[in-house]
Amino acid sequence: MRKAMVLFASLFAAVAWASSGPAAEGEKEDVAAYILHHVSDSHELEIEVPLSHDHITLHLPQILVPFKDGACTPVMTDHGEVTPGLGAGCLDLSITKHTVMMWLAAVLLIGSILIWSNRDKTKLVPRGTGANLFEMLVLFVRDELAIKNIGKEEGPRYVPYLLTAFFFILFMNLLGLFPWMASATGNLAVTCGLAVCTFVVTQLAGIRAAGFGGYLAHLTGGVHPLLWPIMIPVEFLGLFTKPFALTVRLFANMLAGHIVIFFLLGLIFILQHPAVAIISVPFAFGIYLLELFVAFVQAYVFTMLSALFIGMGVAMGHHGDDHGHAHDHKEGGHAEGKAHAMGH
Amino acid sequence: MAEKEPRSSGGSDGSELGTTAREMRAAEPYISAVWKLVGGAVVGVLGGYWLDKWLGTTPWLLVALSLVGISVGFYGFLRAMTRLGKRK
Repeated sequence: MRKAMVLFASLFAAVAWASSGPAAEGEKEDVAAYILHHVSDSHELEIEVPLSHDHITLHLPQILVPFKDGACTPVMTDHGEVTPGLGAGCLDLSITKHTVMMWLAAVLLIGSILIWSNRDKTKLVPRGTGANLFEMLVLFVRDELAIKNIGKEEGPRYVPYLLTAFFFILFMNLLGLFPWMASATGNLAVTCGLAVCTFVVTQLAGIRAAGFGGYLAHLTGGVHPLLWPIMIPVEFLGLFTKPFALTVRLFANMLAGHIVIFFLLGLIFILQHPAVAIISVPFAFGIYLLELFVAFVQAYVFTMLSALFIGMGVAMGHHGDDHGHAHDHKEGGHAEGKAHAMGH
Repeated sequence: MAEKEPRSSGGSDGSELGTTAREMRAAEPYISAVWKLVGGAVVGVLGGYWLDKWLGTTPWLLVALSLVGISVGFYGFLRAMTRLGKRK
């Protein structure tokens, strides 16, 4: 393994040596811009032709919906042409690189579910690495995440959502590790969208457990009606703290890993010496393996926290217990349940 | 799935909930109480600042609503802690 690593680093160093020279001079300042260009979203999908300097660029369709005439006319700024945002009355529904990655992840998700779940149905004992690995992950999400965080009675109800979130995030994370692909979870809008889904499910779980009246009552914080104008916004803002944590955690972890890999390789161009490759390439390779681990860990963490928050929503209707049983509540909730929900 | 019944994964108290879930559920009222304390001040200050800009009354509404927000937050916090104490 050590010999292989040294050989790998030497090969990279040789390639770097061969490509160093006048071309590398101008690249010193461009490393940061190059990294940002690679991790950010774009309207193009660049595919490099192997063993050449040629690129195949796929221009993705731009879909702009103006709310008023001329709202989507590009504006010239210091950074070039910029399309006005939603504030200026232009809704950008363009298909971007990250959108394509999300679609690809969705296709992989649906395909794997159809293939392996069908194999699970038709055989008493599923055979094959894929089917067994898939079953292991599904059972893990059900038993260790859903049931342990939500409860035996209510947990299975939320397993489909948790499984979808887990595999969708996992596939998006893994796609980002392939050449010419991108990690859609390194986009704040994507992680925010996922967190919104969890937020909606959490609130529905709370409404289901405490009743709609009980759910609204916990937003008053249990204070006198005269203080509601202050307390209701406080409790309403408090609802968004958990999804915010979900959003930032996934986004920052995925983005940071990619930036570190690019930066380690960029060191060769910053220091402008091919010998740097002997250090930076093995380090980048190590971080890449860590990224592979993080792809699974972040999918697990997001799903685990989603289950935890849904479980806390389910507990909203309980009588101060924590045993995970579902109780029947009349529409409108009850004082004890709603008092427990928000610390009385 | 080939396996129909979820396998038992009971906690030490016989509950099927995991330790993290039990602890988070136990901590939730305290987290909520602290959020009332902090959130009251935040909403008061931001609300006052925004109303001042809107009505052009700088800085009076900021001062007044900050005090109201801090007071309401503190009251909500004390009320929550008192109820938690009673329940224990």
